[in-house]
Amino acid sequence: MSEDKYEDHINAVLSECPSADREEVREAFAKYESEFYIPPQDALRSIIRRFKGDIAPSSTTSTSSSSQKQSVSKKVASLTELSATDRDIEIEVEIISHNLREQTIRGEQKQIAFGLLEDNPWDEGGQRTRWEYKDWGPNSNISPGSVVRIEGASVNEYQGRMSLNINQSTRIAVLREGTRPVVAPGEPIEINSIPSDGYVCVVGRILSSRPDQIHRKDGSGSIDVVRGRMADESGTIGFLSWEPFDHEVGALVKIDGAQVRTFRDTPELNFGKTTKVELYHDSNFANAESLMEQNIVTISQLRDGSRDVEAVVQITEWTKRSFVRDGEEKFLWSGQIADPSGKCRMSAWEELPISESDLPVTIKVKGVRVRSWQGIPDITVDKSAQVEILESPPWDDSIDLSNHVVEVSLTELVNGSSRVGISTQGIVASVREDCGIIMRCTQCRRVLRDGNCNQHGDDEGNQDVRLRLVIDDGMSTSSLLINKDASLSLLNMTEEKIKAEIDSDGQMEFVQRLRGKLLGQLVTASGRTIVDEQGAMLLADKTEIIEQDPGLISTEIRAQWGVQ
Amino acid sequence: MMQSSRSIKRQSAWHMLASEFGESTLNEKGSGEFDPSFVITKLGSKVNRVIVAGLLERLEPRDTANGSVLYQGQIRDPSGVHYFSVGDYASDSMRELTLQLSPRVESGEPILLLMVAKTRLFQTEEGAIYTSLRPEEACEIDSNRYATWLTKTCQDTLQRMKTFTDSLDFEPTIESLTKENVASHMIEGLVASRNHYGEIDLEHYNLNIMQALDIAEGKIEAASTPPQQQLVSSQEDGSDNSDELGEILLDIIKKLDQGEGVDFETLITNASARGFSRSVAEEKIESLSDEGSIHEPAFGWFRIVS
Repeated sequence: MSEDKYEDHINAVLSECPSADREEVREAFAKYESEFYIPPQDALRSIIRRFKGDIAPSSTTSTSSSSQKQSVSKKVASLTELSATDRDIEIEVEIISHNLREQTIRGEQKQIAFGLLEDNPWDEGGQRTRWEYKDWGPNSNISPGSVVRIEGASVNEYQGRMSLNINQSTRIAVLREGTRPVVAPGEPIEINSIPSDGYVCVVGRILSSRPDQIHRKDGSGSIDVVRGRMADESGTIGFLSWEPFDHEVGALVKIDGAQVRTFRDTPELNFGKTTKVELYHDSNFANAESLMEQNIVTISQLRDGSRDVEAVVQITEWTKRSFVRDGEEKFLWSGQIADPSGKCRMSAWEELPISESDLPVTIKVKGVRVRSWQGIPDITVDKSAQVEILESPPWDDSIDLSNHVVEVSLTELVNGSSRVGISTQGIVASVREDCGIIMRCTQCRRVLRDGNCNQHGDDEGNQDVRLRLVIDDGMSTSSLLINKDASLSLLNMTEEKIKAEIDSDGQMEFVQRLRGKLLGQLVTASGRTIVDEQGAMLLADKTEIIEQDPGLISTEIRAQWGVQ
Repeated sequence: MMQSSRSIKRQSAWHMLASEFGESTLNEKGSGEFDPSFVITKLGSKVNRVIVAGLLERLEPRDTANGSVLYQGQIRDPSGVHYFSVGDYASDSMRELTLQLSPRVESGEPILLLMVAKTRLFQTEEGAIYTSLRPEEACEIDSNRYATWLTKTCQDTLQRMKTFTDSLDFEPTIESLTKENVASHMIEGLVASRNHYGEIDLEHYNLNIMQALDIAEGKIEAASTPPQQQLVSSQEDGSDNSDELGEILLDIIKKLDQGEGVDFETLITNASARGFSRSVAEEKIESLSDEGSIHEPAFGWFRIVS
């Protein structure tokens, strides 16, 4: 290493700070380089500042943000606030319908759109006002089911009826994409692309069909319905027909105008009076047998509210419980099941020919339903006939499923349903200020706030340790809650040590130290997830920092990208 | 299931070099109260939150008009500087950290900082556009974690550069990029970037990355460059080799002058090839000009006074 490698940089500092000591300046450059990886050109300014010492830094000009240009548009929350003379209004609405039409305007053939919209779009089931609208654009981003903000529309009144005019200059901001499909009637769509509501047309083969009855809640009788499942090559879906439905299992049918309703997380087709069901002819359409195959789902695909589910799983734990209902003792069997995609729970209302000593036992379940409890799917077996015991699992039976953890990318977890027995990676993007020691309600384990449980009132509480982080893969984020054992081992600290540190240095200082350890670090966490409208949450029983060798990664990056 | 409420999902944090972020002049903000705001970079990154790291170069309190104290700071990575501010809106923990760091950095202590910050873009009354950051959380890191951050940031930046370059073959519309399977989290930013910035030059990002990788590999020397001239304002004392440099410069001009003079950059390059730094050579040119040995018939072109 040349003694003079900083010569130019030292001279630059000395010319700014003539009284500085050359050797001290040299040492400063060396320290920046060796300890902080800062090359001399980047350290230069900091070092000059240091040796200038007493010279006050020049202050930069104040940066008051210029006053925003306020448009004069009238912003309203509901349509009832509008009068016939209002121009340039702004409102958020849900588009109910959108129809295109050719119209001759001043001798010119022009396409316009019309339809219905409703205000108060975010309040499901709330009071809504419905108006007609005309879209002279027509704007390509208006689609049924979407929630949009309309800026610069005007009100039109014709014979006492109010409507909205969307002009060519009107701005449409889509706030929520339409969940109803924009499909021409009679145009079939694939089953896996069926939206969560709206009317659709599908072509599929009937996989199952059985008569059922729905009892009116008010006791005024019952309705005969038919329940079943149908499939195409893209997937399967359950249906409920309110009209007589006598197509046999295996029949290929085209169903036009079926209404999609979503129960919990599972969409279902409803056939009513206006639904057209007809036999369909396509000799290339997959046969019932191969469609049945794909009807078998893995644990990772289970959705709350699913019916007629078929799956092959392994029971790893199985216990019998008894309870008393209406003075009668009843039994419920439940336990843990697993397949290579993950773990979940299963419950049975009838005894299965399984004893604890046989475990693990591989079974095939058919026609069962799925409920979720705290995000964990629970397969419910109502009749023992729904279960078939298999000799051996269809997957590599050397996998020990009771300890099996499936690696899943964070983005896949966040966009999927709740999972058990998974592990994922992400960068720590936040260390919450409430990490560390918490008190839990002695009755319900809820975290106490100031010694108070929001369910059970004042409570002395049980002490627990918990870390609350956010992990991020650059596309998706998830909360990461780390339990006591995993927290202690991640921090390499005892509970007493944590308590003592917080007591002596304060919560803020403790959290700042945690950030010093964790912020920006790549971690791997395993446990289970709960995914709902609030986002994703990973409850981890293990979290580790992934140690990385930047030199090695750099070499890989150079090789991968050809950076010399 | 229908999303019945507008749940506010946390925005992802992007690893980003100061050069990519600092060159941005475009932002996007919905008019709703809780709509997140984004800065859109030339590479088409649409970012609400970033993870940045580097040398904390400055962190000073400033009084604001409303009587509160705003801390303004800057953090330097190999590609440039991020400006940030910590005010009343910041979390208690971030403000406390700022109070601790400020006197330390002002006393000249080297501090490597990593921070997770919200992005901001603002325009002055004169129309100039600036980027800045509002840190949410930050911590001191050691050189190994800094190097790790550099590698991750290089990797992500290279990926974005590739996505950007690949997208140039397609129409800059959401539909077209979606059809061509461009990474979905990049599409909106790419469309906005292409429409706003037009053609852009990626070469300096490549240089930034090369330098950052050198540093991450511990090869700081390879990443070192001579000091830039604007930092050196005061005169050099008349050292021994100053006269020698004068001769050399005069000689270069004599040899290379084709009648219009010799341009400034050529002089500097030739002087540095003979072991004189840019700053020294620049000063010497100035002093030769002052004493009347050379003159400048056109801006940046020098001739010997005959």
